[in-house]
Amino acid sequence: MKLRIILAFLISGAALPAVSYAQGGIPIETSFPLIESGDWKGPRLPDGQPDIQGHWSNTIANHNNFTDPQSGIPNDPTRRPDPRPRDQRAPSRVSDPADGQLPLKPWALEKVKEFQVGFHNPTKEEYIEPLARCAPAGVPKSFYWHGYEISQYTGYVLIQFNSGTRIIHLDKKPPLPANIKLWNGDSRGRWEGNTLIVDVANHNGKALLGRSGEFVSENARIQERYIFSEDGKRYNYVAVFDDPTVYTRLFTVTIPARRYTEEDQPHGWHYEVEPANHPGGELIHEHYERICAENNGAFGMPAAKL
Amino acid sequence: MALVLSSCAKTESAEVDKGTNQNLDADIPRLANGKPDFSGIWQTTSAADYDLEPHSNRRDARPSAGVVEGKYLPYLPEALEQKKINFERRHELDPALKGWTLGVPRGVYYPEPFQIFQREKDLIIVHQFGHSVRTIFTNGTGHPKDLYDWWLGDSRGKWEDDTLVVDVKHFNDKTWFDRTGNYHSDQLHVVEKWQFLDKNTIEYRATIEDPKVYSRPWTLSVILHRHREKDFQLIEDYRFTLDYEEFYPPKPPQEKN
Repeated sequence: MKLRIILAFLISGAALPAVSYAQGGIPIETSFPLIESGDWKGPRLPDGQPDIQGHWSNTIANHNNFTDPQSGIPNDPTRRPDPRPRDQRAPSRVSDPADGQLPLKPWALEKVKEFQVGFHNPTKEEYIEPLARCAPAGVPKSFYWHGYEISQYTGYVLIQFNSGTRIIHLDKKPPLPANIKLWNGDSRGRWEGNTLIVDVANHNGKALLGRSGEFVSENARIQERYIFSEDGKRYNYVAVFDDPTVYTRLFTVTIPARRYTEEDQPHGWHYEVEPANHPGGELIHEHYERICAENNGAFGMPAAKL
Repeated sequence: MALVLSSCAKTESAEVDKGTNQNLDADIPRLANGKPDFSGIWQTTSAADYDLEPHSNRRDARPSAGVVEGKYLPYLPEALEQKKINFERRHELDPALKGWTLGVPRGVYYPEPFQIFQREKDLIIVHQFGHSVRTIFTNGTGHPKDLYDWWLGDSRGKWEDDTLVVDVKHFNDKTWFDRTGNYHSDQLHVVEKWQFLDKNTIEYRATIEDPKVYSRPWTLSVILHRHREKDFQLIEDYRFTLDYEEFYPPKPPQEKN
């Protein structure tokens, strides 16, 4: 078992993404618009929720680097440093503090630095980024690991990520007991105008924030705001993290996302869909089964073709 | 408790008396388009996952008269030999032991809850076990033309009156039907029928066809009960991560041993 995990890492974690992802088709934008919280004037579902169902993906980068998202994996020996000045790459996902750096306690900063070296020569289990083992990407990494699909129901928002699925309760059921720890945490949400506000507790802290090794502890509490634009084409994910075990102060993470529809071409990273087989002329996109661990393909690669 | 016991007894019979509820049409939840709404959290009380066929008690199974119409599975001779090997080695070979996707129909009668999220165009089933997700399309689309193999197959549903009939194919050969090693090949074809018996009870039938393993199609039937406990909810269970989750996240110095 262990051998297979290491092999999966060597094949996919080290060889594939460093060059192809950083320089490939994932980044779209180096800057993005602010979206103000306010009224929702767009379509609604019968239960009153703003209808934001569909396929979405971040517009900046994958999880190679949390605070310099378009610069590649820190210390990557296979790739030259990005030559562009910092202000010509997308900003840090950390929007507060203003310097874009995570307010890590000294012990935690040491752990992050150690990971950023160990990642490239994983002599210890903890240097393997858990997503490479098919672990759920968790909060917030799921929002910058491939596109994802949001569907809505009376009492729920369901998000099917490339790696993991989140059930966000709007149903006023009580949160889970505090000692139950989960990869995606326990999510309790409500709508205020154009904004879905979700309180996340019970986080197990295991998913890491990216290949740059930042992390939260199982004591983290997160308040997410998904702020949707008036035309329904974009939203910004703005989340305040409160984790006194690892950080010296609160910090805010901002991740821009855009919607994908049948007007878009399928894309192997942002919009992993296929045209449905049906007799009508209408184009319908659908996604296939997403299963990772069983296929032993570390990045959710689809089951092998016959 | 008495309710649970009587449910068990009922479940393990493949024949269900459907004539007891005269007001069924009016009583079941429906979507805006009038189709039955299976949204909710469901679970069987049957012993199906312990062994689909009739069996005495074992250390790893409670006894049961089985859930298969005709009682026994019509294995081809060579396939029956494989089944016997699976049974002997079940404590190492059962894919469920690794927390892997249970497949269809096993995920439906595995003794853990699953939640149905239903829209007019699809039903999304989230299984607590492994947190695996299955989509049943009800938007008139057919199976993909591409010959993929999937853990859960490809599910296309249509309504026959108030019964959801789901055609499932394009499977791989890596899942089992139960923990005794009853199994299938990649030629598996499943036709499911989901039907309310009352607003809190679904009769689930699955007809299995697999010419590489079985001499003829066969049918199983279980009852699914709605979880009605106050505030009952699914709890995420990515159990395939248990082998390595201890390595994350880094711990503060004082917590180190």
